[in-house]
Amino acid sequence: MTATRPKSEGTSEPESPGVLEPYEVFRQEKDGDPMRHGGSVLAPDPTLAVHYARELYGRRQESVRLWVVRRSDIHDLDDPDLLQPPLDRSFKKPGGYVMRDKLEAARKQAGTMKPKAKER
Amino acid sequence: MTSAVPGADLLPATRNALAVMLLAIADDEFVIGFSDSEWTGIAPILEEDVAISSLAQDEIGHAQAFYRLLAELVDDGRDADAIAFDRPPEGYYHARLLDHPRGDWAQTIARRYLFDTAEDVRMAALERSSYVPLAALVTKVRREERYHLMHMATWLERLALARGEPRERLIQAFERIGPDAGTVLAPLPSEMALVMSDIMAIDAAEMDARWRAGIAPTFERLRLPLPPPTRDPGDARTGHSDAFRWLHGEFTSVRQIDPAATW
Repeated sequence: MTATRPKSEGTSEPESPGVLEPYEVFRQEKDGDPMRHGGSVLAPDPTLAVHYARELYGRRQESVRLWVVRRSDIHDLDDPDLLQPPLDRSFKKPGGYVMRDKLEAARKQAGTMKPKAKER
Repeated sequence: MTSAVPGADLLPATRNALAVMLLAIADDEFVIGFSDSEWTGIAPILEEDVAISSLAQDEIGHAQAFYRLLAELVDDGRDADAIAFDRPPEGYYHARLLDHPRGDWAQTIARRYLFDTAEDVRMAALERSSYVPLAALVTKVRREERYHLMHMATWLERLALARGEPRERLIQAFERIGPDAGTVLAPLPSEMALVMSDIMAIDAAEMDARWRAGIAPTFERLRLPLPPPTRDPGDARTGHSDAFRWLHGEFTSVRQIDPAATW
């Protein structure tokens, strides 16, 4: 189910109708959950992409909401030089900083309870 | 108070009229469901293959529900499967529109659009039916049909607005099947009894008028040939085609091997 976006052949013709493009499908499993990537569909336009997302990711009641995004509308940051800095940046990570006791003290002071874990 | 046996309080003539209508609706859903399911595996693209197969499956589900209502009403020992599969081709009571083969993709879309829009008018006339089991079922069916209508309208528009072959094939399909489109809403022999008893809100002539008024703006906008007045409306559901006889052989083949099989 993959396809590349057709290259324009240098004509002045707008994108020809009926040309299939990949759309990424995001689905929400139940109300309150984040939208998660589910997969992709090929479709000639957003309307049919939504219909196909419904058939492929929603017809068995596995989703309560669906989004489709044209893959070519997604901007990509994959430069390893920007995402994997060459110098030690471990001081930017929160490891070693224990929150639990401080959080508990703050809650006691504010008189609020610890929120219950979300039921799944 | 509703009686324990559905329809027991109906006059025999009304009961018979209701049974005829339920058979007509169920056979329509059954035949278009099987006919469209012929696209499984060979639809234009994989996504549409899943979509059209799923739509076809929905119609078989609707047919099953209407056959069950009929079986309860008639109460002659046959269940939904027996009614659906154990008749010769001449015993089916679907509209002539569904006697056409699925044809090419344009014909499938054209027929499905005509059928779904006509079906919607018929279901609207039954949504507040005095026959309570029917009203309850129709409300559910309409919720599902809403998406069918959306999907078919989307395809109709794309084929109609595409230049060249898709549009030409669509127009040819409407010219072939258009005269039979109104057979879905052609008057049933005993429809007066249904209107008189509030089982059906309006008669077939009124349904036909509403259906044509409903689709006219779309056909005009897309410059498509509107279905002409119904050809041979008195013979709308009898005398089936070779295409249907072939389909009947297909959809009864498993049942004929082992009628007692369970799934």
